[in-house]
Amino acid sequence: MRGALLALLLLLLGGCGAGGVRPLPGLNQQLAKLNNGKSPAIAGPWLAFLASRSAGRLQVQLIDLDRSAPVPLPGLNRPDAQPISVAVDQSGEQLAVVRQREDRTELVLYRRLLQSSQPIPMDPAGVPRSVSFSANGRVLAVEVSRGGLWQIDLLELP
Amino acid sequence: MWRPLLSAGLLISVSGCSLIGGLRRQAASPIGLGSENREAPALSGDGRLLASLVERAGRTTVILQERRSGTVLPLRHLRGHQPHQSPSLSWNGRYLALVIQQGQRRQAVIEDRASGQLHPLFLPAGMEPQGLALAPNAQRIAVLVSRNGSSQVQVFDLSGLLEADRAPGQKETGGGAQAPS
Repeated sequence: MRGALLALLLLLLGGCGAGGVRPLPGLNQQLAKLNNGKSPAIAGPWLAFLASRSAGRLQVQLIDLDRSAPVPLPGLNRPDAQPISVAVDQSGEQLAVVRQREDRTELVLYRRLLQSSQPIPMDPAGVPRSVSFSANGRVLAVEVSRGGLWQIDLLELP
Repeated sequence: MWRPLLSAGLLISVSGCSLIGGLRRQAASPIGLGSENREAPALSGDGRLLASLVERAGRTTVILQERRSGTVLPLRHLRGHQPHQSPSLSWNGRYLALVIQQGQRRQAVIEDRASGQLHPLFLPAGMEPQGLALAPNAQRIAVLVSRNGSSQVQVFDLSGLLEADRAPGQKETGGGAQAPS
């Protein structure tokens, strides 16, 4: 009953919504070649997500949507680390990544210009799981397991 | 130059702030008394609003709050269609995109908080939404879909569906797939 009501509501309120969502065929064909997609984030012309090529490991992928082209991330995708979540700011300069490395889970802030990752410790101690960036690049929201609960830490960047 | 320390609001408690590694920290606890799980944070593009998932009567439910004050903002269409999943906000928080339950199916929708409309996103046949990310200007959306047993990220243009939600002062660039978002 609720499903039927929602369907009616969607039709009434959505109007011609079905026609308003347009796939981007060229880009999506490229994206479909990647496997095990996860954790999409989009800001400005930047699409960040996790995926693997062929049967490889999950890697952070950054796509310039205006050019439908991948952007290299030197030093970010390490063979000893498995990314879990990624977020990007509108400039495409900063990526926040939660990753597993050496039996621990860490949050790092990667700066493309510097090609380097800076760990961000959880305080109080906790295990991060996912991260969200405000598009203006000023605030991170981090989902953290702490004391048996999932909590959200908010971090203002300088 | 630090922004003012996040204030302790009426509905959001600040359990501790510290300055480590050049970061200003705040632990955002859920509304109400006591501790509870709070997951899947999503910030508006300007960082003013925070959407997250909490348990309400055993059902995973999205809440929208002002980040600094903790004030809970109303949502019109989503009650009764839990579990909610994967909230995502536009630049000023006008649009909240998420995945809801519609009968036996998962449905990607966008609530327009300015107009009160709920926009369903009808994906190509065979695609089931698992998660999503709305571009800050609301002119594109990245959807994590399951198709043929695999999960893929696909991007859709929303310029024919939604007005842009741009940062103040940001110029209109014509919208569409090629527009900066």
